[in-house]
Amino acid sequence: VKKILIANRGEIAVRIIRACREMGISPVAVYSECDRAALHVRLADEAIAIGPSAPGESYLRIDRLIDAARAAHADAVHPGYGFLAENEDFADACSDAKLVFIGPTPAAIALMGSKTAARAVATRAGVPVVPGTGEPVPVGASDEDIARAAAEVGYPLLVKAVAGGGGKGMRTVAEASDLAHAVRAARSEAQTAFGDAAVYFERRLIRPRHIEVQLLGDTHGTVVPFVERECSIQRRHQKVVEETPSPVVSPDLRAAITGAAAAVARAAGYTNAGTIEFLLDASGAFYFLEMNTRLQVEHPITEMVTRSDLVRWQIRIARGERLDLDPRDALTPIGHAIECRIYAEDPDNNFLPSPGRILALRPPSGPGIRDDCGAVAGADVPIFYDPLVSKLIAWADDRPRAIARMQRALGEYLVAGIRTTVPFFRWLLDQPDFLEARFDTTYLDAVLAARGGRPFLEPSADVEDIAAMAAVLHTALASSTARPDAAPGDAGAKRWKAQARAEGLR
Amino acid sequence: VQYEVEINGRIRQVAVSRSEGRITVTIDGRAFAVDPVRVDSQSWSLIVEGARGLREERGSQGQARVFDVTVTPDAVTGQLTVCVGATPVMVGVNGRRRRGASDDGAHAGGGPQKIVAPMPGKIVRVLARAGDAVAVRQPLVVVEAMKMENELRATRAGTVGEIHVREGQSVDAGTLLVVIQ
Repeated sequence: VKKILIANRGEIAVRIIRACREMGISPVAVYSECDRAALHVRLADEAIAIGPSAPGESYLRIDRLIDAARAAHADAVHPGYGFLAENEDFADACSDAKLVFIGPTPAAIALMGSKTAARAVATRAGVPVVPGTGEPVPVGASDEDIARAAAEVGYPLLVKAVAGGGGKGMRTVAEASDLAHAVRAARSEAQTAFGDAAVYFERRLIRPRHIEVQLLGDTHGTVVPFVERECSIQRRHQKVVEETPSPVVSPDLRAAITGAAAAVARAAGYTNAGTIEFLLDASGAFYFLEMNTRLQVEHPITEMVTRSDLVRWQIRIARGERLDLDPRDALTPIGHAIECRIYAEDPDNNFLPSPGRILALRPPSGPGIRDDCGAVAGADVPIFYDPLVSKLIAWADDRPRAIARMQRALGEYLVAGIRTTVPFFRWLLDQPDFLEARFDTTYLDAVLAARGGRPFLEPSADVEDIAAMAAVLHTALASSTARPDAAPGDAGAKRWKAQARAEGLR
Repeated sequence: VQYEVEINGRIRQVAVSRSEGRITVTIDGRAFAVDPVRVDSQSWSLIVEGARGLREERGSQGQARVFDVTVTPDAVTGQLTVCVGATPVMVGVNGRRRRGASDDGAHAGGGPQKIVAPMPGKIVRVLARAGDAVAVRQPLVVVEAMKMENELRATRAGTVGEIHVREGQSVDAGTLLVVIQ
């Protein structure tokens, strides 16, 4: 593999470019109309336009991506996450075009990509699954049939997209009267996000934790699971904070849950990077939830505590190399890592998307900090794609120090022009329940509802004074810069403006 | 030079003066000696003296306190966003107020309520028709942006007056969608 086409955008495309560079592989970017000047394009060796901004006309167009790979004479394709990463037709099309698909086989994607088929695999591997419908709810099913299927599963339940992931196409239903509306909404969102409107029902466990196991499988039959990730901090089923190791997983539980994950992967004949998600209930019992047949957004925290490079491994496995890492190292975390997903959302306005131009950006750095960012100052966060701008990762010797380090980094994270979730994280990482690791997947939605929309950052009177001072100084000097000779009558004011400007430029 | 500065609904009178090479900023009668140095077109390093109480929460009692500030225009509100360190503060200078305060129907008082698009996006569904009676928090319009569907709900009970958008239409932030009488 000498040249890799990266069929993605944003921070993950940048992440893959970096792995390519370190391996002496030439990275090829693709871009839609609005991404011409995006960071992933600017960092690549070559870049190929693949169509208009709407993902359905560019990043989801298999034909154009294959054409782009051919035009660039790439010999492999990395799909990243999202878009076509879990699309078996894309993996198939790559192999038809004699391109190495850096991911699992099309058969494994198809098998584990269907949530209902994946549950059957887990059951065959002897791993318990969350109770739910064995088959998808038929698209043409009547409201009565839907209600009957739901009643068999029991309330509260989740309506989930068969092709789903990342909380898209998912709805919680507390009682039967909400069911029809939720099924329609989930189908519509699933159709938009995945091109597949099929949904199924799953019982909602009481206060579960979301624990997941990263694994790698090579093409020689070796499967290596990694230390678990704790991803229970979710807003509307979307992970916002991940950490590893989980503060509640004992060595025995780690051995059991990672062993179960490896068993499911082997049963699926799985190769390359993947993640098996479990729900862990209060009694310590765990249930298979689903498998993500791709690199995960949160893969960096695993890299930080196991000193591994998962993207590099993906490429090595795709080249047919053997997984020669020591499995004990993969299960022995060094220190603790936390990730905050910095989204272009306004936390003080019910987390509404906040696309737009980034006017200023100064990411944090320093000891133990990693910022996987796909944005730069001056660039737009487009309305067409996921609102993830950056992933901020903090590593330290233990959890309290990792949290302190993350707080320090969040305090340095300057973003202007768009709203981001940085202020929300500064609040969250200060909550006693978070500090004590007393949470489950319902925690965040519950505390957010209880807050009732109060702003996350309430600047002190002192900070407001400084803001007022800065706004006035900036306004005074900006206007004097724009019209140096047209300042109003007061000669003194004119003089200090000119002097201040001169000082400002010194 | 005198400015009227609004932060969080509170107006401050801010004046800037210069004498003997020193810049003084007076906020509601409290004077601060400031050394402002421009770092780039929107960033400043301020060293502020004479501000008793400032930064006490950070344990600094020193006389020359450093603030890193970045001033950018806010596209949605027309105000300035001033980041003090990484803490953003919305600031209106000389009457530039939050448009939302009177126009977006965020409060549930009397009178017609205007539901506006809170961000750019695409109208996926219109769930109400003109003349419909709606309850408070009833979903009216679904806007999709950044792959997420966002339900915009009625801010009060009433009757749907006019629907200003249709399904499939792209809207900018602030576009009027629905009026509830």
